[in-house]
Amino acid sequence: MKGLRKVLTPFAPDQSGAVGVLYEFGALIVVIDAGGCTGNICGFDEPRWQISSSAVFSAGLRDMDAILGRDELLVKKIAKAHEAIDVKFTALVGTPVPAVIATDYDALSYMIENKTGKPVVAVRTDGMHLYDEGASDAYIRLIETFAKEKHEVNKKAVGIFGALPLDMGKSDREKIRSYYLDQGCTTVRMYGTGAGIEDVEKVSSNALNVAVSSCGIDAVTKLNELFNTPYEIMDPSKFDLTFDSGRTLVVHDEVCCKTIKERSEGTVETATFFDTHNDDIKLTEEDEFTELVMNGNWDNLVCDEALLPLIPEFKGNFISLPHFAVSSTGDES
Amino acid sequence: MMKEAVSFRISEIAKLRPNELPDELTGSNGLVYSSPATLAYNSPGAEGFGVKRAGLAVPESVMLIVSPGCCGRNTSIVTRNPEYKGRFFYLMMDETDLVTGRHLKVIPEAVSEIVEFLPKKPKVVMICITCVDALLGTDMKRVCARCEEKLDGVRVAPCYMYALTREGRRPPMVDVRQQIYSLLEKSVRKGNEINLLGYFAPLQEDSDLIELLKDAGFAAIRQIGTCRTYEEFLDMSRANLNLVLNSEAHAAAEDMYEDLAIPYAELTRVYGIDTVRAQYKALGQVLGVSLDDSRFYEEAANAIEGFMSDFMGASVNIGECINANPYELALSLTRYGLNVREIYATAAPEHMVYIRKLAEISPDIKLYCNLDPSMINYSRSEDKPLFTLGKDAAHYCPDAPNIPWNSDVQPYGYRGIVSLLNKIREEIR
Repeated sequence: MKGLRKVLTPFAPDQSGAVGVLYEFGALIVVIDAGGCTGNICGFDEPRWQISSSAVFSAGLRDMDAILGRDELLVKKIAKAHEAIDVKFTALVGTPVPAVIATDYDALSYMIENKTGKPVVAVRTDGMHLYDEGASDAYIRLIETFAKEKHEVNKKAVGIFGALPLDMGKSDREKIRSYYLDQGCTTVRMYGTGAGIEDVEKVSSNALNVAVSSCGIDAVTKLNELFNTPYEIMDPSKFDLTFDSGRTLVVHDEVCCKTIKERSEGTVETATFFDTHNDDIKLTEEDEFTELVMNGNWDNLVCDEALLPLIPEFKGNFISLPHFAVSSTGDES
Repeated sequence: MMKEAVSFRISEIAKLRPNELPDELTGSNGLVYSSPATLAYNSPGAEGFGVKRAGLAVPESVMLIVSPGCCGRNTSIVTRNPEYKGRFFYLMMDETDLVTGRHLKVIPEAVSEIVEFLPKKPKVVMICITCVDALLGTDMKRVCARCEEKLDGVRVAPCYMYALTREGRRPPMVDVRQQIYSLLEKSVRKGNEINLLGYFAPLQEDSDLIELLKDAGFAAIRQIGTCRTYEEFLDMSRANLNLVLNSEAHAAAEDMYEDLAIPYAELTRVYGIDTVRAQYKALGQVLGVSLDDSRFYEEAANAIEGFMSDFMGASVNIGECINANPYELALSLTRYGLNVREIYATAAPEHMVYIRKLAEISPDIKLYCNLDPSMINYSRSEDKPLFTLGKDAAHYCPDAPNIPWNSDVQPYGYRGIVSLLNKIREEIR
């Protein structure tokens, strides 16, 4: 039945992806919810929360706030928080509640900017899409707000988009950084995991931008349109994962899939539950995954272990490739 | 300039009227900081008994969560516990559902598919809905009735995970208890049977309350946390009295009085030995017997004396992720001779009675609110306490030994005091 999950828990939602991007930019991040969505993000989808706090707050909406649309009260709360905490800008992250009451993010942003004197980045997530869409939107909003000027290009600077904890583990992020340092880059800006807001302001100085997961693709293409910055779409942390014989199915993020497929000599097919810009097989329901695996005569299956209960009778080789957005397992801590 | 976490001396707060508590202590009218304590209750599926786990306290039940994907996401934490494996199902809503309410029409089909899918037919399907349906005004009882029409004897009941209504007249944790006990059907009451309402997990095994109730002649003392089958749970309708141990069960007890004619009495969990004694005395009067609690009283008094001979004046900071009212616990421990320095807990008017008494004997205690955004600036005290109580307190004082004291199994009465002191001694030894 469409939309019914009998085995898997839902994957990381768009609002978690948005916070995943914004987490390290020094923003006052306000999740416009009653509390549960923020709890889900900080307590579950954001492994960095246990290691280093970021100013992620719930709007603490109550039924009357939603019914009466008390935006002024929210603005007041945000202004008060600005007095208590040093932050560079305000980020608004949507949830199902503002989606139901049709919150006017433009008006809300305008009111907050007027009150606090600091920029606002509003990501219009609604909890009904997957993390990569929210993360992608957050990148675009950051670029639109802060990447206003064209800077001189630093030939040894590279920008990495899409290396979030939801996409990949810490060791994979390190592999990506090392790869570009080995390539002769002296500045590796990891947007979302390490880079600051000043790095977004200077994004046009990157000689190359790289999307290492699906959520970075729209950002690097937009930067190409804005500043003519060349871009690549690949995940160097997966260069060692190749299949030179037999039939292999990879079910993961589209960039991960693409990287493995392009570097393998054997037959590799790719599928994803997330957004794709390629010809990967798009999966939505549990049954689709089960049918794809069980009817494909695959020698190798590469995916997150959380998917295994859907295919208890699979007899081929299984290669575990964790995806935090699926199973919330990784090597973050 | 480095900003600081907002705090108040308890003596300042004690002077206020209950309705004058500052916003920074009540967590109202501000953004909410995602401290560990906030997460424990703001993320209903994440820790403790939120709505999701509570709904599944009904034996032989499964749950269908009908919501946007984000609301079900963290349930996988719960499902790592074998007790919940294979008991959660999800019907994920999209934008069209929000606009048209289309999802409501397919719920009966989804419930039927789940019942058919399961190797063992469940006795109850709880349908959990979230904030969006609160705003849409969904009549879930009607949907549940339609589900039952399609099933052969399987009960279907709603669970409302409405975070939006947390401070309302029927907060989610009050409502879920009402929904659970509404499954009971009227039956012949038995004079020697009693229910303990309030918690989803059982009281500690050696609970003096249970011993005293047995002494008073109760042959069956039922708690939902000890019911292994749905039939055992249904037997709760035979009780002659409901004993409410947590005020969140008050509304459910009131419903059971109306619907099943079971009267109720209320007790409160406290750590003050004399207050425990006073409550048992009052309970004896309600039951029409004299409860002889002297053996338990002496055991607790000896434990307190022994503990204080070793740790008199020891410093402690207390959080609110704990099986206790943090203000009552602070008052009791201060009276025993400990030195409470900081309390991290949301204040409410009903806490004023403890705050005022505490301020009289220890006016310098600092009060912080876990929800206040300024808590992100909290810097650990240079003068660290000997130990901390409550899981959240460990976050603020990571260098001090921590006793979380937040297990599912509920400490209670004299034995609750003894167990706590033993646990502290064990941790700081």
